[in-house]
Amino acid sequence: MAMRETLEYELTVNGEAIPVRARAEATLLEVLRTECGLTGSKRGCDQGVCGACTVQLDGRPVRGCLTLAANVGMRRVTTVEGISTGGALHPVQQALLETGAVQCGFCAPGFVVTLDAMLRENPHPTEVEVRHGLSGNLCRCSGYVKIVEAALRAAGAKP
Amino acid sequence: MKFALPETLADAVALLAEDGARCLAGGQSLVAMMNARLVSPSTLVSLRAIPGLDRIEIRADGSLFIGAMAQHADVARLAPRSPATALFAQAAGLIGHPAIRNQGTIGGSIAHADPSADYPGVVVCAGATVHIAGRSGNRTVSAADFFRGYYETALQPGEIVTAVEAPAGPRGGSAHYEKYSLVDGDFAVVSAAVMLAMTNGRCTAIQLAVGGGAAVPVRVLAAEAALVGTALAEADLAAAGRKLVEAADPIDDFRGSAAYRRKLIPRIAARAVAAAKQKLLNGHA
Repeated sequence: MAMRETLEYELTVNGEAIPVRARAEATLLEVLRTECGLTGSKRGCDQGVCGACTVQLDGRPVRGCLTLAANVGMRRVTTVEGISTGGALHPVQQALLETGAVQCGFCAPGFVVTLDAMLRENPHPTEVEVRHGLSGNLCRCSGYVKIVEAALRAAGAKP
Repeated sequence: MKFALPETLADAVALLAEDGARCLAGGQSLVAMMNARLVSPSTLVSLRAIPGLDRIEIRADGSLFIGAMAQHADVARLAPRSPATALFAQAAGLIGHPAIRNQGTIGGSIAHADPSADYPGVVVCAGATVHIAGRSGNRTVSAADFFRGYYETALQPGEIVTAVEAPAGPRGGSAHYEKYSLVDGDFAVVSAAVMLAMTNGRCTAIQLAVGGGAAVPVRVLAAEAALVGTALAEADLAAAGRKLVEAADPIDDFRGSAAYRRKLIPRIAARAVAAAKQKLLNGHA
């Protein structure tokens, strides 16, 4: 059995510097959930397929499960907990709620984090662009129709 | 496991001398394999802090230099200034999902050498050169010689891919990457990369490689030579497709049987050529 190294470092999560003590091979998802107490990001497949762990690094969506926490460095981490400000729902969250796009809710944090980044880069996407943008987020309840509708609603398009 | 974040290539190479040490590029395959307990490196040497390793340069002649740590999302944004830039950009934009493209790198992809991945066929089609650094110095290997088998490359223990360099491709030509996958964002069942040029309706140059058809990308120079001078009509492409299938050696896996892949190879290759031809008619690279 190889030696297990425990590392101590700091992560900037949702604008806050958080001291972390974790095994060298710990993923960002693991550290967020166990060290930072931020359980919004979900562990679905641990293989980068399902998208439930999606967080942002410097504003760009990445897989929390395929990111080594020790390799994050100074990059800013944004999780679903940091997506909205001042206690109000983010427009994407509001739209998901209004369209009834959340069923079991397990995938929802990944969708919110992905959609926030997508709409910042492309504020008025077409339906096709939304579907491509969400291609890396799996939802096993909804069939995606309402999620796509919510994305277009959040973008201010006619649903 | 130990984690190292060297700031120079020399330090990274020195750290990789340790038995069981591995490079960490974007981590989109390696961390998934670690999560699945398929690999457990003794030391992970992150290449993230080495300056300049993610540099992308398009030269005036349309040739390309892409640093190993360049992310797929950045390659996907390249302006199609030459057949090669168009081919790399299109293929990079089809790798995985947006979140994967924000971390996955070209160096990591080719060093991992999954035969169903998108970049291997592209770099072989483009006649690219792989730049490698190691303890005994720097060297280059042609893409055609770089891929040796399933997940197997010409890299020696401790060596690092530092860049991929590709010529511009046929002058005045176009390129296309055709990917056939079961669902959006998945690895290809079969893919085809092509760059070609035509004058007065006749092909003057063509480079064509198939991914997912064997342990390494399949490129058949005799098939390309036979296409030069033709109109790239259906019958011409069928002949080339037969040569590609002869050279292929596909496997059965959950994405499709070997027999299915053999049927796909000529069709996907023909689709790629037809799309590149159409781009030429439309005036695009």
